[in-house]
Amino acid sequence: MHVPPLFTPLPLAIDPVAFNYWPIVLLLTIAVGFAVLVMIGTHILGPQRTGPEKETTYESGVNPVDTARKRFNVRYYLLAMTFLVFDVEIIFLYPWATTFRQIDADSQLATMFVCRILFFLLTSVIAYAYAWRKGVFRFD
Amino acid sequence: MTITAQALVSIIVIAVVFNVSLGAVAYCILLERKICAWVQDRIGPNRVGPMGLFQPLADGLKLFLKEDYNPGHVDKWLFLLAPCFVIVPALVGWAIVPWGGVWDFQGFIFWEWIPFIGGTEVVAGPVNVSAVSVSIGLVYVLAVGGVGVYGVTLGGWASNNKYSFLGGVRATAQMLSYEIPIGVILLVILLMAGTLRPDVIVQHQVETMWNIVAHPLAAVIYFTAILAEANRAPFDLAEAEQELIGGFHTEYASMKWALFFFAEYSHMITASAIFAVIFLGGWHVFPFVPQAEVSGLFGVLLKFAILAGKVALLIVFMMVVRWTLPRFRYDQLMNLAWKILIPISGLLLVGTTLMTWKGLDQWWWMLALNIAIFIAVWGIQPFVPKGDPTNRKLPLEGSRFSPAE
Repeated sequence: MHVPPLFTPLPLAIDPVAFNYWPIVLLLTIAVGFAVLVMIGTHILGPQRTGPEKETTYESGVNPVDTARKRFNVRYYLLAMTFLVFDVEIIFLYPWATTFRQIDADSQLATMFVCRILFFLLTSVIAYAYAWRKGVFRFD
Repeated sequence: MTITAQALVSIIVIAVVFNVSLGAVAYCILLERKICAWVQDRIGPNRVGPMGLFQPLADGLKLFLKEDYNPGHVDKWLFLLAPCFVIVPALVGWAIVPWGGVWDFQGFIFWEWIPFIGGTEVVAGPVNVSAVSVSIGLVYVLAVGGVGVYGVTLGGWASNNKYSFLGGVRATAQMLSYEIPIGVILLVILLMAGTLRPDVIVQHQVETMWNIVAHPLAAVIYFTAILAEANRAPFDLAEAEQELIGGFHTEYASMKWALFFFAEYSHMITASAIFAVIFLGGWHVFPFVPQAEVSGLFGVLLKFAILAGKVALLIVFMMVVRWTLPRFRYDQLMNLAWKILIPISGLLLVGTTLMTWKGLDQWWWMLALNIAIFIAVWGIQPFVPKGDPTNRKLPLEGSRFSPAE
């Protein structure tokens, strides 16, 4: 009889195939190790000299004016929100697109699938038109 | 002890491709400088070694010996974290690329005298010659692309410098905007192949037709978007040196700066490899010619060589584009993403859905769809409301060119 181990990592508990993802973990470890080693290496090899002029912010040689932690234009925020909406909608479409080819095209289910997804896209088009009308995409 | 053939192949692919891509990045930088020189009718670097071939080594040594300076005004931990956040996604992005197709692996046993792994049996079976063989495939590309934005944002903010901040904010907005066309185009490809596994997508193209022939419009949109994602010219607004000095890496020095630079080229290699897999038929040589299947290790190496050749061609093309086209203005960049690429890719998605549903999923129907959408967009374009002209001149007292009325 198969006895589940006491501690199962959460991804494994959800899906036993998740074990196939271990090379990604290996690759991530190597990549992070590479980045950290390079940064430590250059820290050890390079000279260390400092001074009051060197500590200042670079502003094309002029004495720095004010801080950089300031308010910035709200349109970047609007753009980020719009991006979030569309990106999440795209991710919703992936499971649908994967299964769509496996359904018999003549069946009623396929028609329902298409109609629902078209309705879903219609809502995004309305959101898109609204954002355009409100000037979210204007960057001049 | 036994291990699966897939595990062994994964480890070998990771070890080989990681090192090859690091070396390739170093030589991409030399190639970029050479191509830049040729485009501008110069000679380019030719002092270090024959034809300047040791230039990357000299550059690397110089960068390692530079002072690793953290200015006093920065947010130190975020400042150190940003280069890591940029380089890691660039280095792990190629994990799903099927470098050598499917290999019918013959099992074997490691010799006894090898320490630690001696006597281990490798079970025979078909393996995917890629770093990882999972069913999510292309979703991984999207996920890694999304993580890449963090490093740029962090670098720009942590530097506490106005140039860096503006560069970081611009780059963030740009990378976010161009992620949407990428997501939609991948959906179109997914609808064509019916699966997210890259090796099956390549096999589908080998059996029917390359996706670049079936979906030329999608290929153009995708290529534009990967240029923008990698912050390459003509979309390198984040580091527009005339306006922002270095953009988000103004305050970085030595290898910390080089990690940003490395990430850009690494990203180019990854993006070209994925473009070659999903549009250029992977290891298939000519689009209209059926190709004999070569089995065994030789076949795997041959497939790897063909794919690598396509990647090299795409990289050269990206470099020529960089030294040919002028940089976009920021509002033009945003207009291109939101008002042109996203609507067209949406139309492509709806069209592909409907035609797949109606059973018209042969490549010539898809080509017809692409041409129809292109003509329709070209026809509608004059009737889209333009808004105010963006390139306004400021009226100036006493100016001949834009006089104050």
